[in-house]
Amino acid sequence: MRRSGIASAVLIGVAGVFLTLWTFPVLWALLTSFKSERDVLAYPPTLFFTPTLGNYRDVLFGATTILPNLISSFIVATFTTILTMLLAIPAAYALARLNLPGKRAGGFYILATQMLPPVGLIIPYFLFLQKIGWLDSYKGMTLIYLTFSLPFAIWLLVSYFEDIPREMEEAALIDRAGRMRAFLYVVLPQVRGGIAVTVIFVFLNAWNEFLFAVVLGGNNVRQVTVAMFNFISVEQTLWAKLAAAAIVTMAPVILLGLFAQRHIVKGLTVGAVKGGGRR
Amino acid sequence: MNNGRVSLKKVVKRHGAFTALHGIDLDIEPGEFFALLGPSGSGKTTTLRIVAGLEEASEGSVFLDGTDITNTEPGDRDVAMVFQSYALYPHMNVYQNIAFPMRMVGMPKSDIDMAVLDAAKKVHIEHLLDRKPGQLSGGQQQRCALARAIVRQPRLFLLDEPLSNLDAKLRLETRGELKKLQRSLGVTTIYVTHDQEEAMTIADRMAVFMDGQIVQVGSPKFVFDNPATADVANFIGSPPMNLMPAVYRDGVVRIGTHELQTSCRIAGERNVIAGIRPSSVRLGPSGIPARIDLIENLGDALLVDLKLDDMMIRARTGAELTSREGESVFFSAEPAHVHLFDTESRVRING
Repeated sequence: MRRSGIASAVLIGVAGVFLTLWTFPVLWALLTSFKSERDVLAYPPTLFFTPTLGNYRDVLFGATTILPNLISSFIVATFTTILTMLLAIPAAYALARLNLPGKRAGGFYILATQMLPPVGLIIPYFLFLQKIGWLDSYKGMTLIYLTFSLPFAIWLLVSYFEDIPREMEEAALIDRAGRMRAFLYVVLPQVRGGIAVTVIFVFLNAWNEFLFAVVLGGNNVRQVTVAMFNFISVEQTLWAKLAAAAIVTMAPVILLGLFAQRHIVKGLTVGAVKGGGRR
Repeated sequence: MNNGRVSLKKVVKRHGAFTALHGIDLDIEPGEFFALLGPSGSGKTTTLRIVAGLEEASEGSVFLDGTDITNTEPGDRDVAMVFQSYALYPHMNVYQNIAFPMRMVGMPKSDIDMAVLDAAKKVHIEHLLDRKPGQLSGGQQQRCALARAIVRQPRLFLLDEPLSNLDAKLRLETRGELKKLQRSLGVTTIYVTHDQEEAMTIADRMAVFMDGQIVQVGSPKFVFDNPATADVANFIGSPPMNLMPAVYRDGVVRIGTHELQTSCRIAGERNVIAGIRPSSVRLGPSGIPARIDLIENLGDALLVDLKLDDMMIRARTGAELTSREGESVFFSAEPAHVHLFDTESRVRING
């Protein structure tokens, strides 16, 4: 479709405004992370300053290093993601395919768990983990994250599985694949896009989570979101270090997004088969 | 030898309280091109799916070459199927689609290569092997699905309305090719369709389904000439048979106040349904008077709607007709072409 010059100028203008709104905090943090604490507090804020890598040196290798915390976060997020996907994929497939009684109600329950305010669950979760001795442990954190990520992942994946025509699986059954291989060779490759999207969301949620991490974690498992919080104290706030830590924490997430983007787009184009092929 | 003889014995299919199939008995001979014909919801696709093993029969048994396969997994039945939607695997290219059934049984790569090329050649898609299904036209997708079915040389082909997604011209071409392909392979083929013309032209024999029952089995010609019920008569043939309430007595059928001779002979007087195919309706100088309501020109023939009292009778006649719409004509029919059906059961009366 052809747009007039004015229309596209307006469109670019509006997109520009939103882009600025969204990217400003990130860019500001990026800028701050290269400033010395003195430049940070300069008023009016300076755009031109002598950049320093000192903050990064400190948060990665210095006395205030967040490296162990990054590793903790990575372990918790990775385990959460792997376990979630291992359980959610078969569950979502079953929900999409079987005509179970109460399927609709189950779907609502899954959605409802996403509506619960997490604060309300903190105390029961704390007492529960304390009782079984899993406080401040990787297995405890992972277990708690699963209670949120699993319903969410199932809910997300079901719609991807439902999009795959039953006939395609039936064709595979007749083509002597058997149930398992029909699932692995015919169904699973077609939900790659959905799986990539789900992995990103689950990983991100676990990676960015703060509330449970701060209450249920401790000296053994201190995730990076909690560690960053320590740059804010009663006496002072170390803005530049906080910014550097934030940038370091964001990096893997952005990398994951870029990596998975290819798969997401691929998944979408696979779905674009015209004619009877995929309807 | 594995020759593909199919028998269904008293097959019943229930979905909860609803009965989709009321005890189907069917015997299909080796190498036959057999059509399951019927309106939608009549149970023909369910029957095909039970033969394929995709649905379980609630009662009854399915036999393939004398072996009971009622509880055999679809993959162990040695059948191949072409779905109405083709059900091609969208993430695999044409080659991988056709190779899939052989990859699943661990055939060596070199054998797969040869078989795929051979099957692709038979349906003329050997130049498309690298394409994904999404890059194929509807006709090419259909051929790809066919190739995937023939590549394994199964005992039985199951085709579920394979032509219904093609446009009219392509459907005619493919219909002929399908018939030739089936002849050359000699594999028993069960073909589901709701299109009576398709079944008539393509099948060696056919079973007509109505409301979950088989009403008639026979060659297309036999079914056309001797429809077992008024409903079959109404379903087969285009346009369908004219059916009129009538009274029979002594070889004469009385329709309202008009009379027609029939070669049927039954005792006494009784209410019947008289049936005359449009192509058997003769327009001429004598017979029953009727008014021409509408004339449709088919090029080589005319479809003439005749109004007789409050009934509409269709005639298919040669292109030479001097009468115009609104004028009166007379029609008659050969006694042998006047079919009779019971008013109550709607079953054919042979006499």
